[in-house]
Amino acid sequence: MNYALVSVALPMITVVLLFLVAAPVYSRLQTLVTGGLVIIITVISLSTSWLALLEAAAQSTTSYLAIGGWEDGLAIRFRLTPVVALMLTFTALIHLLLALYGTFSRHGVPKDYWSLSCFLHGSLAALWLSADLFNLYVTLELLSLSAVALVALAGPGAWKPAADYLLLSLAASLCYLFGVALIYGRYGLLDIAMLTVVVNDDLITRLALLLMTAGLMLKAALWPLHLWLPAAHASAPTAVSALLSALVVKAPLFILWVLWSQVAPPVMAQQIGPVFALIGILALVFGGFSAMRTPYLKVLVAYSTVAQLGYALMALGLLLAWQQPEMNSALWLFVIAHGLAKTSLFLAAGQMQTTLGTKRISGLRGATQTTPIAMFAFAVAGGSLIGLPPSGGFLAKWVLLEPLLSQPQNWPWVLGILLGTLVSAAYIFRLVVMAFDRARINPPDISSDHVGQWLALVPAVLVWGMALAGEQLIQLLGEGI
Amino acid sequence: MAELVLDITLAVLLLSMAWGALHAPIINNGIGLFVAFGIVLALTWARLGAPDLALAEAAIGAGLTGVLLLHAARAIPVPTATTVMRPLQMMPSILLILLVLGLLTVITSSGPDSVFQQTPPLPDLVEERIADSGVEHPVTAVLMNFRAWDTLLELFVLLLALFGVRQLFPGQRVITRTGTQLSAADKPVKVQPWPPLMAWMGVLAPLLVLTGGYLLWHGSTAPGGAFQAGAILAAAAAVLHLIQNLPALRWSLWPVRALICGGALLFLVVAISTAWLGAGWLHYPQPGNKLLIVTIEVIATLSIAVTLALLVTGDSDDFTR
Amino acid sequence: MNSGAFYLSVGMAVFLIGLHGLLVLQDNLRRVIAVNLMGAGVFLVLVALATRTDPVDPVLQALAVTGLVVAISATAFALRLVSARIRHQQHKTKPDDGRLSSHKDKPR
Repeated sequence: MNYALVSVALPMITVVLLFLVAAPVYSRLQTLVTGGLVIIITVISLSTSWLALLEAAAQSTTSYLAIGGWEDGLAIRFRLTPVVALMLTFTALIHLLLALYGTFSRHGVPKDYWSLSCFLHGSLAALWLSADLFNLYVTLELLSLSAVALVALAGPGAWKPAADYLLLSLAASLCYLFGVALIYGRYGLLDIAMLTVVVNDDLITRLALLLMTAGLMLKAALWPLHLWLPAAHASAPTAVSALLSALVVKAPLFILWVLWSQVAPPVMAQQIGPVFALIGILALVFGGFSAMRTPYLKVLVAYSTVAQLGYALMALGLLLAWQQPEMNSALWLFVIAHGLAKTSLFLAAGQMQTTLGTKRISGLRGATQTTPIAMFAFAVAGGSLIGLPPSGGFLAKWVLLEPLLSQPQNWPWVLGILLGTLVSAAYIFRLVVMAFDRARINPPDISSDHVGQWLALVPAVLVWGMALAGEQLIQLLGEGI
Repeated sequence: MAELVLDITLAVLLLSMAWGALHAPIINNGIGLFVAFGIVLALTWARLGAPDLALAEAAIGAGLTGVLLLHAARAIPVPTATTVMRPLQMMPSILLILLVLGLLTVITSSGPDSVFQQTPPLPDLVEERIADSGVEHPVTAVLMNFRAWDTLLELFVLLLALFGVRQLFPGQRVITRTGTQLSAADKPVKVQPWPPLMAWMGVLAPLLVLTGGYLLWHGSTAPGGAFQAGAILAAAAAVLHLIQNLPALRWSLWPVRALICGGALLFLVVAISTAWLGAGWLHYPQPGNKLLIVTIEVIATLSIAVTLALLVTGDSDDFTR
Repeated sequence: MNSGAFYLSVGMAVFLIGLHGLLVLQDNLRRVIAVNLMGAGVFLVLVALATRTDPVDPVLQALAVTGLVVAISATAFALRLVSARIRHQQHKTKPDDGRLSSHKDKPR
C-alpha cells in the first residue's frame, strides 16, 4: 500500500512545485528541465506502482487502508487489488511515454502541458485507489477538469469542444452524485466493500444505479452518449488526445465496472449484462462506420476509440451476465492494449499531420515514403486494434471469444465481434492504403522529426510485447477483484 | 402550520425562479433570477438546519456565481432574446417533468424501502468519535478529519480551476518599438467606479475581513470554517476589484502563487508526513490534532480567498506577465 | 408528508428543471445555469436526507459543502471558457483575404 501512496503523492507534489516555480517553458532548455523533472517523477511513480503490483499479486486478499485511522464507514478507504495496481502502473507508463515525447520530439507539447498532466496523473491515481462512492465523485470531477483544461491548451479553436465537453461532463457527474445520494439514502453507507454486503434488489437501488450508469456512460463516451468525444479529441493537442483516449475515458469505465460487479446485487447485474453487451456491439459497428466515413485523420482515430470501447463494454456485459470472474481479464487486457495502441496512433497521427501539413486523410498519400516510421507505428498499433495475433489486442479478444465459441447459443455474439473486427480492419486499411499511394505523393511541409516518430513507435511495440506476459496477466486479472 | 406556509413559500419561490432563470427571454433577467434563486436556496439551507451550507451558498453560490455570470453576459455584444417557448409550448415539458417527478417521489419516499424509514449508522458513529477528532462542530469534524481526503482533493480542484482559467489568457503580445505590450483585444476596459460604492466599501471591507476571520475561528465549535471564511474574503476582494482598489493580485508575483497553493501544499505535506513518520495517511497525531486542523484551516482560508478572487475577477493583466 | 420528504421532492424537481434546460436550450450561458440548477437540486436531495436523523446528519452536510465548492470551481471555469469564446469570436472580424486554405486547416 505504501508504494501505491507514493504513486499518488508524487504527481500531486510535482503539481504544486511546478505551480510555485511557474517557470515559463518557452526555450529548449526550459523544456528539457521541466520535461526532465516530470520524466524522473513518472519513472519513480512507475517503479513504485510496479512494486505495488508485485505486492498485490503476491497477497491473496485485497488490502485496505482507512484514511485517518477511523472505523470502516466513517473513514474513506483506499483499496489495493491487482487491477488497481495494474491501472496505476499503466497510468504512469502512458504519462512517461508522453513526457518523453514532449521533451525530446520537435513537435513537443504546449507549454502548460506539464503541470496539467501531473494533475491528471494524480487524479487518476486517486481514482483507481478509492473505495468510497463520494470520493470517486470528487476524483472524477478533478479528472474531468484536468481533461478539459488540457483540451483548451490547443487555443481558441478548441474552446468550443472544450466547453461542450465540460458542460456534459458536469451534468454527468451530477447524475452520478444523485445516484450516490440515493444509495446513501437507502443504505446509509458510502464505502464500496461495506455496500457489497448490504445491497438489496429494490426499486430505489435500481434507480440509483441507473442514474449512476447514465452519468458514467456519458463520461466514458459509451455509445450512444459519445457525441462529445470526436470533436474534443480531434481538436486537442496530440499528446493530450493520447491521454484522453488512453486514460481519461477508462476511469468512468472502471467505476462502472466496480459498481456493477461489486456493489450491485448479482440479480441486477445479470439483467443488465446483455444490455451492455448489445450496446457494445452497436458501438463497434456505428463507431467503426463513422470512422470509415470521416475525412479527417484525428477524427478517425477518435471514432476508433468509441468503437474499441464497445469491446470493453461487451466484455463487461458478458462478465455481468454470466458472473464469470475470468472475463475480467478480457476487460482489463482490452483497456491496456487499447490504451497503448491509441497512444501510438495519436502520436503517429500528430507527427504525420505536422510534417505533411494536413489534417485530412487524403493528405497522407505517400506517407510510407515521407514519414515511414510514423506510418509503420500507425500500422503496427492498428494491427493491435484489429486484433491481429500475437498482439495485446488479439490476446484480449481471444480471452473474450474463448467462452463464446464453446457454446453454440453464444455464436450471435461471435458474429458481432467478427463484424466489429471487419469494420476496424476497414478503417485502418483505408488509411494504410492511402499511405501506400506513392504515385501522387503529398510532399512534406517540413523535415521529418525522427525522434518523435520513433517515440510514436514505442507504445506500438509495447502492445505487441504484451503477449509475452500474456499468461501471467490473464491469471492475475482473472481473479475477479 | 407556520412551518408548512414557510416550506410552501420557499418551494414555490425556488421552482419558479429556477424555471425563470432558464427561460426568461432576456439573459440579464435570467441571471438576476438565478442570483435570487441562490439567496432563497441559502434560506432553505437555514430552514433545513444546515447553517454551514447556508453561509457557503450565500457567499459562493449566490454572490460569486452571480459575478461570474454577469461578467460573462457582458461579453455578449447584443443580448438577443432567445427563442422563448410560449406558455402553451412549455406545457408538454412541464407535464413530463411532473410525471417523472411523481415517479421519482413514489420510488424514493414511499413503500417499505423508503429512504425515510432508514436509520443511517454514520451520524451516531460521528457523535461517538467526535471527541477524538479535535473539533466540536460535527460538520467541521467530518470535513477536516474524518473525510479529510475529500477536502484535500477539493483544494486541488480549486487550484486546477484557476490553472485552467489561466490557459484562456494566452496574452497575445504585440512587438512595438518600445517593447512588448498586450494587444488591444486583450486589454481590459477601465471604467470609472461608482462613488457610493467606494464610500460604502470603506465601511464594508474591514467588516467583511472581520466576519471572515470570525467564521474561520468559530468553525471548530459552531457553523463556519475555511470555505465559508475564504468565500467571504473573496467576495470582499471582488468588490474591491470593482472599485479598482484591489492591490495587485497578479500571477507573476510569487507571494500570490504561494498563497494560492499554500492550502493544498500544506494539506498534502501533512498527509505525506503522517504516512511516512506517523500512524498513517492523514492520521492526525492525537494530542496535536486541534492545532493541526486550525493551522490547515487558516492557510486554506487564505488559499481559497485568493484563488476564488482571481478566479472571479482575474483578467488578462493579472494572468500574463 | 414530513418536511424532509417535501424538500426531497423539491430537490428532485429542481434537478429535473435543470436537466430539461440543459437538453433543450442552445445558449451556452443558460446551459451553465441549467447545470448549476442540477447541482442545487442534488444538494437539496442530500440535505433533505440529512434531516432524517436528529441531530442532523453531519456527513451529508459535509458532502454538500464539498460538492458546492467543486461545483463552483467547475462553474467558474465553464463560465470563463464560455465568455472567452464569445470574446474571441467577436475579435475574429478579419475578412476573408482570398487565401486558398483557411486557418482552420492548419494541423496541430
